[in-house]
Amino acid sequence: MFQYTQFAFSHRRKVVTVRIRRQEITAAYLFLAPFLITLLIFFVYATVRAVIFSFSNYNLFNLDPNYSGEDPFRWVGLLNYLNLFKEELFLIALRNSIIFAFIVTSVQTFGALVMAAALNTKIRGLDFFRAAYYMPSITSSVVITLIFMWMYQRRGVFNYLSTQLLSYLPLIAVFFAILLIAQLLQVFIERRRGLPAGWFDPALFVVSFLLALAGTWLLNISGVIVPREIVPVDFIWLQTRQEVPAAFPTFLRAAVPLIAIMIQNIFTTIPTFMLMFLAALQDVPKSQYEAASLDGASPVQQFFYITIPAVQPVTFLVITLGLIGTLQMFDQVAIFGSAVPLRSVITLAFFVYNRMFPGAQTPEVGFAAAAAIFLAALTLLVVLIQRRFIRSEAQ
Amino acid sequence: MARALSSSAKPNWISQQQFNRWQARRLWARAGLTYAVMLAFAIIFLGPILFATISSVRTDPTAYPPTLNIPQLSPRNWAAAARLGRAGANNRWWGGFAPGADVPFEIIYFVPEGQEPELPEPVVPRRRPGAGLGSVLAIDYAADYATITPVKEIERKTGRFVVRDEELSGQFVTYAFRILYEGDGPEINRLPLDITAPRRQSYARSTLSLSRLERRGRVASYDNVAPGVLGYVLYNYRRTFSEARSITTERSLFLNWVSNSFIIGFAKVLTTLLFASMAGYALARLSFPGKNLIFILILFAQMIPGQVIFISNYLVLRDGIFSLSRLWGQTTLLNSLTGVILSGLVGAGAVFIMKQFFESIPREIEEAAMIDGASQWQRYWNVVLPMARPALGALTILTFQGAWNDFFWPFVVLTTPEDIKTLPIGLLTFRNVYGGTGDWGIILAGAVMSALPIVILFIVFQKYFLEGVSFGGTKG
Repeated sequence: MFQYTQFAFSHRRKVVTVRIRRQEITAAYLFLAPFLITLLIFFVYATVRAVIFSFSNYNLFNLDPNYSGEDPFRWVGLLNYLNLFKEELFLIALRNSIIFAFIVTSVQTFGALVMAAALNTKIRGLDFFRAAYYMPSITSSVVITLIFMWMYQRRGVFNYLSTQLLSYLPLIAVFFAILLIAQLLQVFIERRRGLPAGWFDPALFVVSFLLALAGTWLLNISGVIVPREIVPVDFIWLQTRQEVPAAFPTFLRAAVPLIAIMIQNIFTTIPTFMLMFLAALQDVPKSQYEAASLDGASPVQQFFYITIPAVQPVTFLVITLGLIGTLQMFDQVAIFGSAVPLRSVITLAFFVYNRMFPGAQTPEVGFAAAAAIFLAALTLLVVLIQRRFIRSEAQ
Repeated sequence: MARALSSSAKPNWISQQQFNRWQARRLWARAGLTYAVMLAFAIIFLGPILFATISSVRTDPTAYPPTLNIPQLSPRNWAAAARLGRAGANNRWWGGFAPGADVPFEIIYFVPEGQEPELPEPVVPRRRPGAGLGSVLAIDYAADYATITPVKEIERKTGRFVVRDEELSGQFVTYAFRILYEGDGPEINRLPLDITAPRRQSYARSTLSLSRLERRGRVASYDNVAPGVLGYVLYNYRRTFSEARSITTERSLFLNWVSNSFIIGFAKVLTTLLFASMAGYALARLSFPGKNLIFILILFAQMIPGQVIFISNYLVLRDGIFSLSRLWGQTTLLNSLTGVILSGLVGAGAVFIMKQFFESIPREIEEAAMIDGASQWQRYWNVVLPMARPALGALTILTFQGAWNDFFWPFVVLTTPEDIKTLPIGLLTFRNVYGGTGDWGIILAGAVMSALPIVILFIVFQKYFLEGVSFGGTKG
């Protein structure tokens, strides 16, 4: 803009500048037009209408001038919002959403961080593995959910793997026992010789691992330890009303199908968040870890005293993204659909849909809108809390 | 791998060289363990997808136990399938049952000692697989055209065989017969076969592995005995296309869904590229009143849950976007691809990405064009846009992926008829229709195929996807 003002002495120049300026504004709005129209109709207008509906008893039909049903349109004030908390299904949805968001976010954040810490080395081939981990996140929710539903069948992969695990439990226990003993013995011997071997010494661990493998194999073929004969696990993942843990009060329990969705959700989101953590971790100077291991800090101590503080900003971001994503969970509930009892998996987002399109009944648009606004407010609250946390961190 | 364990606590009894070797061993072991851990994670995260892909070729993917030992993946069956496909319709890839077919078939039974072997009874059943969509439509049955030659015993061999956990001695008896297509008629793409064995004779082997044993092992049932290699391995995949048909148009539903998904994906990519770069250019380069308000709106649009806006958007589409759609003759935009495309012309996130990118291009480049008297549009179209190729590339991939995987909005808008759905919504129909009867082969095959385009995109344009992580990261 500098060159314009410099030459804008004469009156004529000024007129030109004003004209250019007006042209620029017109051009800007022409460039923005398609985007602004979309934004105004499908976001702004839509949100305003949702708020307005939430104060009414609108049901898709009673705004029609020819409407002759028994529920004519009227304003109901805050009644919809108050009624939300009298509706049992809404309370169930609220409980499900909160438990789901809480468990999934904490497990996936912690899991992603641990995985990132385990992989935090600059080695060749990292790109290949990065791509492999990212695969579940790029495919659609429907594909992943269908695959998991298939694995959750009563004679499916999950129950089969559980059966195998239980059957091979003695062998697995023996394996870990040998591993532990071999590692302890070796570290002990090395230290006696004056070598600075740590408890997790990788070279000794490889030897212990091979020893454990060979030992277990020998015990198995000699018939000392054999897989147990057990009845195949027949756990019902989907078509069940069972809630766990049974000892907890009702509002702290989660239905088994909801847990099935949790497992699936954690599985698909961990890799994405792990990659975010990994990016942050690669900026932490190696010298910090070296200094710590010189001082005799174990990998676990290093994780808690170096890794976790170093990635704190990313942790906040991951938690926020996780909470927003899980609070608005819809797809999995819709896809599980009739294969599970609705009450056990319904979430706030699905509750809104369910009231807007309740099948054969009359839609309760006003009520659905109130629930949707509640969901938006909950999401906003999470974001605001996170913003506050970050600000207090920065100070 | 420069992380040296630089602890110099070397004991006196070994030389520095030995100690260095001791330390190097640790570094190698650590690298090896890291790779092992990475591989374990890769198996965990790719495992379900890979295993589902492999199981999708099984006749019944829910058969217990889950296994990698699948008849469809055995070369012996491939060879047999090719041979039978040739015999059935002179097509070793896709097989079939055409006039003049002469399909030879052999089956081996185990007959325990003290039992006289009897002839089994083969039948071409009048059967169509699946209870699902379009099963009211008429099809040609191989049963109406097939003739089976009398069964002949051709060989006896003594041996031992396990029957119900008990190893018995006896003899293996081989029977042979042919299935003929005499006279004229249509070519039929499937030749099912049921062979009923006499009592106490157990099925051991046959030309082609059987699909399932029925009635306590007495009936060996085959979905198609003239399949061709691909027809055999991709049996479930073929079913997704051929079986689910629209009741009104008789067209393949799956094919419709695929093309709908592609149409929406391409349309959204085009509109997003154009409109997001236009808006991003204006926001990055031009000064005008109301700019800050627009930024606030962008932020707002990214935060508002879909469940808030879908109520009004549904009504807007129902009324044809304020009756505008009447201009081109549509009274409502529900259940129409146009509706889905028009309601998602350009996303706020895409505009934001383009704005960021244009801000990183130096202004001087445009100034030359400005002095030459180029109009605003020419500056955008001829000068800036060609430079934005990397950003446009990333946006193309991300938009297409988003549109292809989108579930909620198409789920609300596209409900009837089945023909109008997109792939994710269509797969849900598959689940509802076939999942109830436990017919998971067709569902898994559909799921694998619908993931394929994105997986291919991902493998080719990996870089853009991983950039998407950082774009997504800026959203919160």
